[in-house]
Amino acid sequence: MLQKKICMLGSFSVGKTSLVRRFIHGFFDEKYQTNIGVKVDNKTLELDGEKLLLLLWDIYGEDRFQKVQMSYLSGMSGYLLVVDPTRRQTLDDALDLQKRVRDTKGDVSSILLLNKCDLLEDWEIDPDRVSELERNGQPVLRTSAKTGEGVEEAFSRLAQAMLKSPA
Amino acid sequence: MPEQAQRRAPIAPPGEPPSEATGDSARDYQELRQLILAPEQNSLAEIQERLDNPSHRAEDVGSVVAEAIHLRRRKGGDAALAEALAPTIQETLRESVRKDPHVLADALFPVMGPAIRKSITETLRSMLESFNEALEHSLSWRGIQWRIESLRTGRPFAEIVVMHSLLYRVEQVFLIHRETGLVLAHVVAPAVATQDPTLVAGMLSAIQQFVHDSFESPRDDSLGSLTVGELEVFVEQGPHAVLAAVIRGHAPASYRLALKETLENVEGDFSAALEGFQGDAGPFRAAAERLHPLLETQYREKQGAAQKPRLAIAAGIILVVLGLSWAGYAAIQARRWSNFSRDLSSHPGIVVTRVEKSGGRWHIHGFRDPLADDPATVLSQNHLAGRNPAFDLTPFYSLDDAIVLRRASSLLAPPRAVRLSLQDASLSAVGAAPSSWIIKFEVRAPLIPGVSTLDTSRLRNENAAALESIILTFPLGRADLDPGQEAPLHRAVENIHALINLGGAISQPVAISLVGHTDSTGVEGNNMLLSSQRAGRVAALLLRAGIPDSAIEPRGVGPTQPLRPEDNEEGRHLNRSVTFLVHFAPPSPVH
Repeated sequence: MLQKKICMLGSFSVGKTSLVRRFIHGFFDEKYQTNIGVKVDNKTLELDGEKLLLLLWDIYGEDRFQKVQMSYLSGMSGYLLVVDPTRRQTLDDALDLQKRVRDTKGDVSSILLLNKCDLLEDWEIDPDRVSELERNGQPVLRTSAKTGEGVEEAFSRLAQAMLKSPA
Repeated sequence: MPEQAQRRAPIAPPGEPPSEATGDSARDYQELRQLILAPEQNSLAEIQERLDNPSHRAEDVGSVVAEAIHLRRRKGGDAALAEALAPTIQETLRESVRKDPHVLADALFPVMGPAIRKSITETLRSMLESFNEALEHSLSWRGIQWRIESLRTGRPFAEIVVMHSLLYRVEQVFLIHRETGLVLAHVVAPAVATQDPTLVAGMLSAIQQFVHDSFESPRDDSLGSLTVGELEVFVEQGPHAVLAAVIRGHAPASYRLALKETLENVEGDFSAALEGFQGDAGPFRAAAERLHPLLETQYREKQGAAQKPRLAIAAGIILVVLGLSWAGYAAIQARRWSNFSRDLSSHPGIVVTRVEKSGGRWHIHGFRDPLADDPATVLSQNHLAGRNPAFDLTPFYSLDDAIVLRRASSLLAPPRAVRLSLQDASLSAVGAAPSSWIIKFEVRAPLIPGVSTLDTSRLRNENAAALESIILTFPLGRADLDPGQEAPLHRAVENIHALINLGGAISQPVAISLVGHTDSTGVEGNNMLLSSQRAGRVAALLLRAGIPDSAIEPRGVGPTQPLRPEDNEEGRHLNRSVTFLVHFAPPSPVH
């Protein structure tokens, strides 16, 4: 069975861990994130009749005190960049983080997740900005860890993208 | 060669005829070309034909394919070649099995037997080692301590034994892709519970990177080991792979060397697969075979082997003494209960059929007459007062003489002056009793189980005795009662009534003789008449008091049966009297 490492990236409290929790029933306690900055889970997907094991590195959210350790991203085949649209700043931080990832790890499959789509009325980010990102080739998906909307699709699409362009 | 030709003379573009101006030179050129290039063109045409013809191409490849594979192996391309050939070989095998499973089964037969035997032998050996350890420690003092620890912690005894007697045991070995943290191969010792190896490998990589980044160590330095309680994780890092061994106990330094050597071999033999790793762990199945020898188990050397027999003997003696003590105690108890059973059975009205111990309590089964002695009393007499056995004694009527006598005494309630006794089912009453009790005795006693006959020969009737003691006196020469004789006469009437009732009850009618007396003075013929008159007088008074005529028989005896000597007046006065004699008719024959 093919295995791929993927990472969950984004600012603090954008809902990365909640998305993972929606996607799988984890084994490790979330205290690992607090202790060493990452928690590893796995999930087996079936794509076109082939099984694929995703090893999910749920990396502690960035804030002004703690930056993502780039070494955790070694060998990843793709990542989900999670944004909380109810906080405009998280999109800026995510794009900044993405730039750093590209600088160190090269062009790796990614999907920008606009999480908390169950709170559309509270969104602060500019839709035109999102459209522009999409025009520039950045895949974007709307998800909700609360309702589960788009969660399975996000992981499946990332897996498909990774298989098309193996990193 | 074509390049050389081009340098010598330019070649007209294909399909373009040579011009008029250059006609001669063109012909020369064509001839020259023909002369120089003809062999090469023929050769090229031949090559082109071989390339275009698949059968020729197959022929060519077929003739060198074996050499090509050998060459590739020599150049160290094992993994890539295996990867390339694997799908075809798998499909071929699948197709072969589908068509005829026997072909492959026959081919594998010589291999499968030894492989299965080896696997079973290994498993049994491992089980036996654990079993031996458990057995060896079962009877020792340490074994007892471990058993207590097992009870205290709730962990199986075998696990406690293994834990204490192990020097070390390598429980798992992970081969991890260094860059991605993905698991390439994973082997586990028998009977070891594990978590998902992909997760463990991932977290192990994360921890390694965390430690590496946190302490800014050089790239080639890495976390060498982790220790958690009695578990230790040895980590060896190569350029592309990480080998991690989870060890219970303390492995020697030589084990780390073995780990290092294995990693070097894997890095060498799978270098291409490791470098080009894209998430497919398939090519590393063969690497798992290299990891199996790393699953070492080492037990502690047996210490104090010479002490073991002594300990075993001491334990054996203690066990024997304990066993004998227990057996002795059990025998004493059994004997005590047996004696109790015998004693209980000797009591009239109690029959013990079985004595047994069940559920830690003694049970006494049998029968008991309600009038028999209380078993609890017998228990205390046998020094078993506090033992509280279960008495399962069914009530019944006992025909033991003692119990029959108790039942008779209970039912008949004899007067204090009467004593009952029983012999050979004959119930005797001895003493004096009123007629009313005698009636009860005569009626009820034969109904008592165990009583066949009654003996009343020594039972005196109180009414008869009282009546026969009464003396009614008369004045000299007269047949009228002395004054003051009403009271004795009244007592006589009462006793006669009681006697008549008794006679009716026992079907032996009573006959009371009224005997008239005179003193010896006077004329003899007159005295006889006077005594008869005196008896007749009393009879008349009794008739008047309701005594039936049939019950009394008045008669005179004159001075012939004096009651007292007549040496004084008092004696002569008592001889001028009427007395009573009581007779019961013999029982009427039953028809």
